[in-house]
Amino acid sequence: MTDEAAMMLRVSLFGFVTGIVYWFVSYEPLGTVALLLLGAGPGFAGLVLVQERRKQADPAESRGDTLRRFAGIPPLDPPGPRDKRDDDLGVLPLPSIWPFATSLGLAIMLTGLIYGLWLLVLGGGIAAYATWGWLAAINRENRYGRIQAEDDPPPEDQVTPAAEARADPDPDRADG
Amino acid sequence: MATTELPVPALPEAHEEPAGLVDYLITVDHKKIGILYIFTAFAVFLLGGVLALLFRLELAQPGLQVMGQNTYNQLFTIHGTIMVLLFAAQVSTGLGNYLMPLQIGAADVAFPRLNAMSYWLYLFGTLVLLSSFFVAGGPAASGWTAYPPLSDAKYLQGTGMDLWIIGLALAGIAGIIGAVNLVTTIFRMRVPGMTMFRMPLFTWGILVNQLLILFAFPAITAALAMLFVDRNFGAAFFDPARGGSPVLYQHLFWFFGHPEVYIVILPMFGIVSEVIPVFSRKPIFGYRALVFAFFGIAALSFGVWAHHMFTTDAVYLPFFAVLTMLIAVPTGIKIFNWIGTMWRGSISFTTPMLMAIAFIFVFLVGGITGVFLASPPIDFQTNDTYYVVAHFHYVMVGALLFAMFAGFYFWFPKFTGRLLSDRLGKWHFWILFIGFNVTFFVQFNLGLEGMPRRIADYPIRSWGTYNYISTVGSFLMAVGVLVFIWNFIVSIRRGQPAGDDPWEGNSLEWVTSSPPPHHNFHEIPEIHSERPAFDLRHRSPSEADAR
Amino acid sequence: MFLVVAGLLVWSMIRYRRRGDELPEQVHGNNKLELTWTLIPLLLVVVLFVVTMQGQNKSLEKSARPALNVDVLAFQWSWRFTYEGQGVEVVGAPGNVPELVVPVGQPVRIKLRSADVVHSFYVPRTLFKRQAIPGRTTEFDLTFEKVGTYQGHCVQFCGLAHADMLFRVRVVSPGEFQSWLAQASRSGAPSRPGT
Repeated sequence: MTDEAAMMLRVSLFGFVTGIVYWFVSYEPLGTVALLLLGAGPGFAGLVLVQERRKQADPAESRGDTLRRFAGIPPLDPPGPRDKRDDDLGVLPLPSIWPFATSLGLAIMLTGLIYGLWLLVLGGGIAAYATWGWLAAINRENRYGRIQAEDDPPPEDQVTPAAEARADPDPDRADG
Repeated sequence: MATTELPVPALPEAHEEPAGLVDYLITVDHKKIGILYIFTAFAVFLLGGVLALLFRLELAQPGLQVMGQNTYNQLFTIHGTIMVLLFAAQVSTGLGNYLMPLQIGAADVAFPRLNAMSYWLYLFGTLVLLSSFFVAGGPAASGWTAYPPLSDAKYLQGTGMDLWIIGLALAGIAGIIGAVNLVTTIFRMRVPGMTMFRMPLFTWGILVNQLLILFAFPAITAALAMLFVDRNFGAAFFDPARGGSPVLYQHLFWFFGHPEVYIVILPMFGIVSEVIPVFSRKPIFGYRALVFAFFGIAALSFGVWAHHMFTTDAVYLPFFAVLTMLIAVPTGIKIFNWIGTMWRGSISFTTPMLMAIAFIFVFLVGGITGVFLASPPIDFQTNDTYYVVAHFHYVMVGALLFAMFAGFYFWFPKFTGRLLSDRLGKWHFWILFIGFNVTFFVQFNLGLEGMPRRIADYPIRSWGTYNYISTVGSFLMAVGVLVFIWNFIVSIRRGQPAGDDPWEGNSLEWVTSSPPPHHNFHEIPEIHSERPAFDLRHRSPSEADAR
Repeated sequence: MFLVVAGLLVWSMIRYRRRGDELPEQVHGNNKLELTWTLIPLLLVVVLFVVTMQGQNKSLEKSARPALNVDVLAFQWSWRFTYEGQGVEVVGAPGNVPELVVPVGQPVRIKLRSADVVHSFYVPRTLFKRQAIPGRTTEFDLTFEKVGTYQGHCVQFCGLAHADMLFRVRVVSPGEFQSWLAQASRSGAPSRPGT
């Protein structure tokens, strides 16, 4: 079982045990329900993680594969021994106005609960439009492949610590 | 030694332009989002501080000199609300957003756009809440805990209270979304070789903090929704005349409220666990014990909520008393481990280190007084008095601020490429430390003498002396914060250039440039221990390679 | 506890100041030490808990036959004290602090209610307080050991004039109490402070 699953299951155990003990010492319903839910939530998460671990054919799934599976991108074809592509850090979305717009819509919508239906509808409209834009962007990326934001290569004269380590594995050696 | 190389596109070198306003509006980069969180949270902190200075002016002498009762009630309500709910949790989220992906070797968080949405929801929630200052009737005047029936429409009319509820609901949704994001990132996106037990302790702090948010925020969201429906749509969740129960609200609120204070402080434990090893030039003492302590505190924090309700005569006292006292055990383990790190180390007293050490002192006082409060008979005397106010300001302000500033001084070079002035930092430190203790230590005495909290004026004239001292201290604290702001302004342009790793740090963020490139890393070394940067400097895996 | 830990901190700071570039011994931990400083606090917690429960039970003790029963009604923003069975009532208002007169050395049973929002009945001298929650009645005993006049406050924030919701407890000898009670019930109408 992975460390993550173990953690979730231990918290879940705590929730269930305290919930049950709490019921029998106090007969107070809200706390009991809350603690039992604390058991159920992480418990569910932990079980999902355990299940997933069991289903994986190759327990040493590379991170690239994880990210691809996670992002809904089909696995590398042909799958094979680990190669450099497996350590690809994945793809990142381009900057986007949709998170800002969706939040604005949601905020106006909730404020509309105070000030009247018109504001609620206005906010709902903005949120709906923004959600549509967001989903369209995701759809576009899935269909046509993601476009990464370009990154700068390190400047010529700068040596990254990792590169330095490759060049000089043991700087403390006597011959320098 | 094999390394992990990113696919670097063969393009002519591009220069990074300084980010403009539009860049921040559309960014999905965790680093920029982290900066947005930190700046917004700090602005909220300054506002909350100004509100406090205002009502401390009122309290300095007996009698009402500066403001009326209603204004006083509004000021302490908003002060408490924004400090606890809109500053403390989010400054950690901001630091975590920026640093956690770097510390685990990821290029960004799991859901970058959702990450941006979390921030904007937080900002809009804050703005909605603060807009209550401009409506008829002004902001909520219910105390940050907003107990019904007082917070019900019958006793507190006006949209101020409703805007308070909606603002917090938005911020709560932001928190939950953010938590899903950050937990997924930590579980799924660590660089190969970084097992859970090789993660830096700051990342552990963020993990536990976000898990707490995930399981505690729904309770407050429910309570807020129920309160809103009671107020505006004629429901009776909390109205005893129609079958509801005010105690129900207290349970819901504190089931959230207690984990909330650990949400606030656990990332601070994480910061201190990073800073102390670096400036003691030793690894953190008892890494695994610290991880288990994090989880012990987090789990226990869900079992203690009704220690805020000891005086209701509606809760089973021994259960909550014993669990609350038990939290002292993992907390004590942490403190001993921090001291164990310093023991036989080689300690440099830079500003971040001073802040981290002050954190331990201040947290010790706050924590011990907390254990006193865990005892129902003691709580019967001290609950709702200034003793409690002093206790929580020691942990939530003293401990929080010193750890936060330790983090700021420690990571400012990584964010900006320049060092904050250590000289100004020491002025900042001493003024803040003295000011803080002057402000809050006397409040323990006031509480023991019986001074209630949340009162605009007090009947016992002799309480005026301590109150006056406390007010003086609060202004001293303000000066300390101003010194920090000055330091920031001066250093951001003219601070000493820092390079990648000015402190000889331990974790992965010190391996990349300052500030990091857009994709965070050009190259990531192999991970063999919980101190990858240290290993890189010393070219051999450290002994903790048993995993 | 504080002194021990603070002492260790200060000692480390002085003794282990950085003196050069040499790395100190890179100790990762010590399991025996961890166990020790887990078990000792755990033991302390157990002891503390037992002592706490004893103190708690004592402070919540309710006498089988209290000398006096007083109905306390908390309302925005003062108090009403009704002496059960005696026909005596004391009512206050913001600015008019009501006084609860009780005999010394005898348990007084307080039955606490609220007319509107949550309040809290607190007399610092008694080291005790209790919330007054609308829809619930809560009972507790107070025994005053010394003659005197003691300040009382509302300590659960209850709205605008929360700071003014004061009261006083005047503890007198049993004889004095009886004569006060007789005089108060003779005058019939609920007494305002000052009578």
